[in-house]
Amino acid sequence: MATTVESPAAPLPAPPVAMRRRRRPLSSAAPGLGRHLVLVVASVLFFGPFLWMVLVSFKSSTEALSSPPTFLPTVWHPENYLDVFRVAPFGRFYLNSVVVAVAATAGQVLTSLMAGFAFARLRFKGRNLLFVVLLAALMVPFELVFTPLVSLLSSLNWLNSYQGLIVPNIPSILGVFLFRQFFAAFPAEIEDASRIDGAGVWTRFRLIMAPMALPMIASFAILSFVYNWNNFFFQFVVVNRTEFFTVQIGLTLLQGQEASDFNLLMAGSTLAVLPVLLVFLLFQNQIVKAISGGLR
Amino acid sequence: MYEKEGRAGYALVAPTTVLLAVFYLYPLAQTVAYSFTDWNPGVPGAVSFVGLQNFADLAGASGFLEALGTTVLIAVAVVPGSMAVGLVLAALLDGSFRGRTVYRTLIFAPHIAPTVGSALIFSYLLTPLGGLVNAALKGVGMPAVPFLTTSPWALIAVIIFLLWQQVGYSMVIYSAALSTIPPSYHEAAKLDGAGAVRRFLSISLPLVFPTSGFLVITGLLSSLQVFTQVFVLTGGGPLDSTKTVVFWIYEQGFLFFDGGLATAGSVVLLLVGVVVTLLQLRFLSRRDQIEMV
Repeated sequence: MATTVESPAAPLPAPPVAMRRRRRPLSSAAPGLGRHLVLVVASVLFFGPFLWMVLVSFKSSTEALSSPPTFLPTVWHPENYLDVFRVAPFGRFYLNSVVVAVAATAGQVLTSLMAGFAFARLRFKGRNLLFVVLLAALMVPFELVFTPLVSLLSSLNWLNSYQGLIVPNIPSILGVFLFRQFFAAFPAEIEDASRIDGAGVWTRFRLIMAPMALPMIASFAILSFVYNWNNFFFQFVVVNRTEFFTVQIGLTLLQGQEASDFNLLMAGSTLAVLPVLLVFLLFQNQIVKAISGGLR
Repeated sequence: MYEKEGRAGYALVAPTTVLLAVFYLYPLAQTVAYSFTDWNPGVPGAVSFVGLQNFADLAGASGFLEALGTTVLIAVAVVPGSMAVGLVLAALLDGSFRGRTVYRTLIFAPHIAPTVGSALIFSYLLTPLGGLVNAALKGVGMPAVPFLTTSPWALIAVIIFLLWQQVGYSMVIYSAALSTIPPSYHEAAKLDGAGAVRRFLSISLPLVFPTSGFLVITGLLSSLQVFTQVFVLTGGGPLDSTKTVVFWIYEQGFLFFDGGLATAGSVVLLLVGVVVTLLQLRFLSRRDQIEMV
């Protein structure tokens, strides 16, 4: 991770003028030692717990609680990871998490891309009203409606099912916003030219607009995958049979079963956290841009 | 031509709109309707109207007001705290220098890591026997503290965990705002002899004010939804001292099957959220004005 360099990874659309990075003042080109010191301390406080998690996941259960604590494991115990899979069916949990996160992400990208394009480039009656309703729905987090939502899923027989874990997560207001913003900032000439050539809406969308949105699709897909991988509370109330547990629910199961075996708990945490950290380290520029651009 | 576009428009927005209506707006309407009934999620069908009884019960000995108080306390500590630390870190990260991206990556990581895994790390760090924090206390001759099982330490631990998760978000948002400030402002002030701290207070701070408004609102809204952090770290204890509103709603609906009371709690939370969001609209419109100047 130390090799990551500041580079415009994917060619995002030209940002509005106000957002473009300007030339830096001279003094900040060579920040003082004090600045680095504070940032190093902050980095240790914020990222240190993850390193500690990985180190402890290789210790024995007694060494995990030894006082004073050891830094590196005196004896490395990679078999802790096998034990986690023995104590609980983490293979199945992983499969479930991957299926749910990939399917929900695909659904979010597709539906948001379509709606964002329509809201930005097409004229139809009630468009603005519909968009305001969408805005208002932002006020309704899942945490507010989960009691009736779960009973709705129950009456559909969707509790303890993949469709129950996936489908309610497909509509993404944030996604619609991001794509609407992207398409609105898009030069109209290309689309107009094809319109004059007689290309219909679908052709324009499929052959011109959607391919041009690929960098934006990538950014949002990464963000969406992380969100769906981490989406514990929703999964927790929709599923109570072990065969449909995701990695996150599996971790709470592990917490209940192995409360004092912190080496196993940290191995489990590493299994849950690592995919997200890897995705983040690989695509951090897109993630940070999507997050800090999403509010404009 | 526009008629054709119209039909395509409806078709393209239909999936998002229909799914949103079925899985969010319909349950939202049900939430409001059920809050006036004795609905039991475990026994579908038998529902009778009870007027405002649930709301009267909320104000009584249901534990709702305590949960609301805890939630407000969390918001009051976490929102300004994460913004202040995030802004300082964003200011330190402003500019381009070696290691900048590495710092940003490491500090932002907790915001994006799955909460259950992170919370398990904290419960390990804070455990009385052998946890890193208590080992450090022991090192300086202090007695061990069972942080997650005694009050007020449990709530403090939850707040610190939330700060740890949220600071990176504030930092990234503030970074984007700081990078839009023309360097000429700073250069001019420097020529006038203003030091780094003075320039931060007189130039950067006022210019990121709209961003601060945005962060207050998003921070408040996310504080209203705290569940997983408490669920993993403390389970709501000790003696309900870390129970948040969403945790309380979950208990009422899923453990005690009092759907009427649970949805009444949701309605109160919704009203709080609506007030906060209306404030957001004011802040955001103000933000646009400032940016146009």
